[in-house]
Amino acid sequence: MIRGILASLLTGISLTAAPGLVSQVPADLAAERAAFADWLAHSPVSPYAAVSAAPLDASGAGIDLGGRAARIVERNGAAWLEGAGPAHPLPRNRPTPVGGTTVLVTGDPPRTRVMLFQPGRSSASPAYYPFDPAVVFTGTLTPPATPGSERVLTPDGIEVEATFAGTVTVPLGTTTTLRVLRLPDPASEESSLEIYFRDRTSGAGSYPAGRFVTLAPIGGGRYRIDFNRARNPFCAYSSVYPCPVPWRGNLIGAPVAAGERYQSHP
Amino acid sequence: MIVAALLLSLAPPPASPAGSWRAVLDLAGGELRFALTVRPTGRAFRGSICNGRSCTLLSGIRVAGDTVVLEMQDYAATITSVLHGDSLTGVYHNVGNRGPRTIPFRASRGRWRIEPASAELLGSWDATFVTDGRASPRVLLFSNDSSGFIGGVITNTGDYGRFWGRAEADSFRLAHFDGSFVYMLTGRLDGDTLRGVFHAGRSTQTPFTAVRSTGRPHLASPTGMTSADTSAPFRFAFPGLDGRTVANTDPRFRGKVVLIDVFGTWCPTCHEAAPMLADLYRRYHGRGLEIVGLAYEVTGDTAVDAPLVRRFQMTHRVPYPLLLAGTSDVASAAATLPQLRGFTAFPTSIFLGRDGRVRLVYAGFLGAATGPQHDRQVAEFRATLERLLAEPAR
Repeated sequence: MIRGILASLLTGISLTAAPGLVSQVPADLAAERAAFADWLAHSPVSPYAAVSAAPLDASGAGIDLGGRAARIVERNGAAWLEGAGPAHPLPRNRPTPVGGTTVLVTGDPPRTRVMLFQPGRSSASPAYYPFDPAVVFTGTLTPPATPGSERVLTPDGIEVEATFAGTVTVPLGTTTTLRVLRLPDPASEESSLEIYFRDRTSGAGSYPAGRFVTLAPIGGGRYRIDFNRARNPFCAYSSVYPCPVPWRGNLIGAPVAAGERYQSHP
Repeated sequence: MIVAALLLSLAPPPASPAGSWRAVLDLAGGELRFALTVRPTGRAFRGSICNGRSCTLLSGIRVAGDTVVLEMQDYAATITSVLHGDSLTGVYHNVGNRGPRTIPFRASRGRWRIEPASAELLGSWDATFVTDGRASPRVLLFSNDSSGFIGGVITNTGDYGRFWGRAEADSFRLAHFDGSFVYMLTGRLDGDTLRGVFHAGRSTQTPFTAVRSTGRPHLASPTGMTSADTSAPFRFAFPGLDGRTVANTDPRFRGKVVLIDVFGTWCPTCHEAAPMLADLYRRYHGRGLEIVGLAYEVTGDTAVDAPLVRRFQMTHRVPYPLLLAGTSDVASAAATLPQLRGFTAFPTSIFLGRDGRVRLVYAGFLGAATGPQHDRQVAEFRATLERLLAEPAR
């Protein structure tokens, strides 16, 4: 079985489409995009609503509650809100309303980060390249030679310990082998298999630092990689977020004119 | 006018979601089945979601036209669906910091068939879950009851709740959905080995293999994971639901055996543990047992958290005090209880002797889904309390 996985090579699937409908966005992808646009416009922790992000240390981070100054400090590994009534601990990875501000404490000590969000920002929908059925691939994942991990930034700029999940090879330009990392979700037992990649559109239509694309399991140990689902890190929406450094080796020597484009946001 | 009245009387009544539903979440690894029951209560509705005989009450059901919204307030989750004839179609939606967390939902009227498993699948299995070359142990418990094929998944810190599903020949599919956790176990018996996949959320998949339990310990001991400073009485001081601080130095605890339950209303396993703790209280309070629940809630804001804890208290008829101790992450709980070392699990049970010092810390709780292991844990709790209560006060 291992040998079979090692022998894996991703091959493009030949999606058939009626003439004239080639660029029509499939219903499931359209629904995903609509849900994301709605989340961007309305979630209290949308990157459009982000107003600040600061590392949290013993000296704490200031927070302005409508002219009243409060502080968030870290003690014994927990974040505490002080100056807004009795001091109380703030949950990690769960948005907490404090006055008209939403506070999100993320990351693990000693790299805890405090983010503040306020409503009333942009609600612009993301822009996408036309749907391209030629950049939808299915195949298997070649596991890494040895297990390992490295610290990377998630799309929302949180530093996590990501495990090496393997590589995939895609027939884009010259055949390109891309590294896949498993990013844990700090708020649950779930994780996602991600490729953070750059291509010839990076900085020329798509976000300069790169884009994320997720491997979706389709059964039998196989995955779908759909570059129409390539998406920007949150630093593309707001300068509040730190930008992930491009992952070593994940450079596609061809334009991937699919998925999310880059447009500057107010 | 008579014709109009006749037509009105013949018009079908507005569709109602009341009844039994075969419900499904469509995960990447296939359909996760659960039962949904909706009951009319006057002009409103109440309902529950069930994994076999294990059910969770919905906090609310809103119906507007053909839209039916099932609310799971404890977990900030909803199922928004459209009622069309005998089907509901929609989306399960949970809180996400990186974007929407959604899973397609559908249901049709009726009850799931009862499909018990054959004897070859039943019993206890020592499982190894493997993620990117890293292994971690679990124990799988499979049995049949009146609802069909049921199971439990035990980790080093507790279990994932009641799983329910079906088996066909040597293949099986069991799931647990309580409004917050979305888990599914699929696989088949291959010779003497179970091979399968554990599904979490819509698309996280972890392969596993399992062999029949031999009786040798496969998991870490629940009493060996969290330790405590025993050089002094265990200190706690937190506000109760009435705002008054309850502390270990209060007269009511002097010379008593105290069981501290570190829990959260967001934690399904904690809900499972509550009835057992209430029973222990009623059984042993007269002999000198006090129990205190320390609630670690989602927001840390009393105005939000206190009603949730009050509802927990009423739902489980908790006869002992519940205190608002902090927020729901492990680091926060550890920070507020600095005498503990290696705090890892909700719930955690801390047993104090009559001198106020920690005698035992039990990480996690094995719910009823774990069958004999649950029974063994209850017996261990009782035996520990009997032993501590028999000690003389100093």
